[in-house]
Amino acid sequence: MTPSSSLSRRAVLAGGAGAVAVASAAARAAAAPAHEPFQHGVASGDPLPRAVVLWTRVTPTVGATPGSGRGPRVTVTWEVATDRRFRDVVRRGRVRTGPARDHTVKVDATRLRADTAYFYRFTVRGETSPVGRTRTAPARSSSPDRLRFGVVSCANLQAGWFSAYRHLAARDDLQAVIHLGDYLYEYGPGEYGYGRANTDVRPHAPAHEIVSLADYRQRHAQYKTDPDLRALHARHPFIVTWDDHEVTNDQWRDGAENHQPEEGDYAARKAAAHRAYDEWMPVRMSGTAATGDGTQLFRTLRFGGLAELSMLDLRSHRDQQAATPAPSPVPSPAGGRDGTITGRAQLDWLKQRLRRGGPQWKLVGNPVMIAPVTFAQVPHDLVDPVNDVAGLLPRDGAPYNVDQWDGYTTDRRELFTHIRDQGVRDVVFLTGDIHSGWACDLPYDAATYPLGDSAGVELVCTSVTSNNLKDITGTPARTSSLAVEAVIQTNNRHIKYLNFDDHGYSVLDVTPERVQMDWYVIGDRADRNAGSSWSTSWATRSGTNKVEAVSQPVGGA
Amino acid sequence: MVESPRDSRACGAFERGRHEIRTGRRTLLAAGAAGVAISSLPGAALAATAPTRKRAYVLVLDGCRPDEITPTLMPRTSALRDGGLNHPRATSLPVMETIPNHVMMMSGVRPDRSGVPANSILDRTTGEVRDMDRESDIQVRTIIERLNRNGLTTGTVLSKEYLYGVFGGRATHRWEPAPIVPVSGHAPDVFTMEAALAMVQEHDPHLVFVNLGDIDRLGHSDLTGPLGLKAARQAALASTDVQVGRFVDLLKSSGRWEDSMLVVLADHSMDWSLPHQLIHLSPVLALDPLLGGNVTIADNGGADLLYWTGDPTRLDAAVARMIALSSAVPGVLSAHDPRVTPSLRTGPLGGDVIVYAQAGWRFSDPDQYSNPIPGNHGHPATSPIPFFLAGGHRRVLGRTTSSRRAATVDVAPTVADFFGVGAPRGGYDGRSRLTR
Repeated sequence: MTPSSSLSRRAVLAGGAGAVAVASAAARAAAAPAHEPFQHGVASGDPLPRAVVLWTRVTPTVGATPGSGRGPRVTVTWEVATDRRFRDVVRRGRVRTGPARDHTVKVDATRLRADTAYFYRFTVRGETSPVGRTRTAPARSSSPDRLRFGVVSCANLQAGWFSAYRHLAARDDLQAVIHLGDYLYEYGPGEYGYGRANTDVRPHAPAHEIVSLADYRQRHAQYKTDPDLRALHARHPFIVTWDDHEVTNDQWRDGAENHQPEEGDYAARKAAAHRAYDEWMPVRMSGTAATGDGTQLFRTLRFGGLAELSMLDLRSHRDQQAATPAPSPVPSPAGGRDGTITGRAQLDWLKQRLRRGGPQWKLVGNPVMIAPVTFAQVPHDLVDPVNDVAGLLPRDGAPYNVDQWDGYTTDRRELFTHIRDQGVRDVVFLTGDIHSGWACDLPYDAATYPLGDSAGVELVCTSVTSNNLKDITGTPARTSSLAVEAVIQTNNRHIKYLNFDDHGYSVLDVTPERVQMDWYVIGDRADRNAGSSWSTSWATRSGTNKVEAVSQPVGGA
Repeated sequence: MVESPRDSRACGAFERGRHEIRTGRRTLLAAGAAGVAISSLPGAALAATAPTRKRAYVLVLDGCRPDEITPTLMPRTSALRDGGLNHPRATSLPVMETIPNHVMMMSGVRPDRSGVPANSILDRTTGEVRDMDRESDIQVRTIIERLNRNGLTTGTVLSKEYLYGVFGGRATHRWEPAPIVPVSGHAPDVFTMEAALAMVQEHDPHLVFVNLGDIDRLGHSDLTGPLGLKAARQAALASTDVQVGRFVDLLKSSGRWEDSMLVVLADHSMDWSLPHQLIHLSPVLALDPLLGGNVTIADNGGADLLYWTGDPTRLDAAVARMIALSSAVPGVLSAHDPRVTPSLRTGPLGGDVIVYAQAGWRFSDPDQYSNPIPGNHGHPATSPIPFFLAGGHRRVLGRTTSSRRAATVDVAPTVADFFGVGAPRGGYDGRSRLTR
């Protein structure tokens, strides 16, 4: 999809009352060049107390399209101010970009003040970008009373409009947006769309499955022209991790379900996907905003004494998922052993983050579900549709999801044992991937629960657009899914809330007393202007390691 | 009875207390209506004229886990917590046992300064493993004496014999516990609370320090604990909650509430182990050529303290060997040399190596019959504790939850801050939880 001409550089500045036009751009309208140099918006991310990553992509010439490798090297100026009119500019810098990095710009704006809202913009060849807003994290030694985040995952552009992003962009009360992965999808048109018929509400560009570096760059560029995603990026800093589709479906360390030999070397494809991600996302990889210096994505962001957010990478280091080798109906991991989902280094790092010292709430950005879930008693005729959402094995017997932590139980056992042995409290896993909303306790022994203790809780946000159970069965919402939900909850007593039908976003509110997630659902994904409504809220009180229903959402929308 | 220190140490703490009364060092004063016996320091009545209406009450729910204080199981305690300043991150400190944490509460300093690192230690002067239940075991001045020296009065209502022993005759007023459950060595909460109420009504000390022992005692012995059922434990929680309610009711009905600060906390948490999850260190150590016959173990539930009793010049080699061998035993979480793990701060009495159990395991040395009780603490899994301030005094923040860390060692500085009586030389190791 090409950039809409309606998205001029009178671009979106999400303000308190919603989108506001930037006057300064209009003032220079007479001198406007033949094309728009900031076609992909602005973004910020990974807020620290004194620094935040700023991002944009410039299109200095008409031919310098994403993935083209064409266009001149240019110098881009960036500015950070405390006011939207940039009278009080506190930081300013210049950075070179060019075709080698697909004309993306990513800088770490440092020496900022903690817990402060800032405005930022870029300038190239006399043209100024839309203005973005961001916020630094609270000081390390501070004790915030409250933190509030947007939480999203699984935004398939072909499956519909990103109304969830638009509604989050309209909120003024967020510290940041946590994106738990599947920020984009690799498929070509017709391969994975809206509903049972896989209708493309909007076709992907390029018009085929993305494999090469140029492909991944173009796909990132297409997503960043979406008006709702642009608005959200411009309004709040993002804290991102990837799941599988940022490379390809069900990826693991050395391969993926959706990678075939004729698509070339998997390692090369993965490297291309990671490079494009590093170029196009406002994230510090391997600890820096520089691109090409490493692709380690797991990292920690601290918010004073109240919370710490550890973002996991559960794709780059994992062993292959279990399979069902004929004729055995029993799934067996590749190599005949229970593999790792985190890799040794990441698991050791995570155990160090989950400690009694340090901040109170240990939030974990967790791309795939960690709560044990047996789908054993799901009605047989519904196993296939559930399988489409959740990827279950075996096809007969007692199925479980081999792509999430259930397929890697040794790592989960080590992690939960660590939490229990060290007396760690207030661990909250924030999860995406499964296109459905869940609130779960995390029992040490699911078989006897609620007897026995819980290691923490898991709150799962639903998808922005990607298909869920009702879309796959083709049935109306709250019909066939109800039976599946009831059966799963009956057989998994630690799962307190489950909604397999809705799309939307979540808001996470953190106070010393409790962590609460509010689930918001949107109307039809095919409706560009779909509304949003509050669905349910669940919370965990500090020290309890359990979720409980809450009667109303926190303020804001 | 012969009046020599040696002999008085040879008998139990309660017997030593009775000896103090017989010899006139404490006076047995008017028993309350319920027949409660309270002994007092001579001249106590004079001190009670101090010009402050402030009162501080420290209620220890021995062995209570923070997640057990729920509106359904413990409605009164839960409401008290929700109305006060809650510290959900609070912890017990090493070793996560009753005596050292009660001493930390009252002294405000860690065991390397107070001299009380564990319930059970090797006393190198006698070569015996013994409980730290002697008044002389606490080597620093506690908040109790600090208040007394400032003209304020204090009271202890301690349900466990060894706590009664270690705090000894420090307080202005002391409950002489009765009746005592023979095996557990503690007084049931209903009697303990009867004594606390009588002490407040009859003597009205500025500080009262109360230990309610039922939750801990019924946790230790609850055979349904490892199965997650905790039947006896839950009954204890419910009944102790009633006792907490009685105390609050007295403060409110007698008009003391507006002048009062309550500190409600536990000394440690509780973990349950299945009968097959036992850790035996002594057979492993005994077989080692260096360590065999030269190591003494002081058993502290989920923590074993190992003492090197061989050639002092070989201590470093012995410590390294004890850590290596212990770490390999199934069920062991970790083994530490306190000299190089400064956060432990257990001091020289706390052993040369501290070995912790994993959750769901317990030490039983030398064999499986040595430690029959399923409920257990002392290891890191049992460090989270409830800890909150309540009461009507204006310095107690209401309906607030703090994300700051808190610990048992914070109690004395909080009480000192409340009464404005200052800190010991070298300062407190804990911090006041009152707002400035």
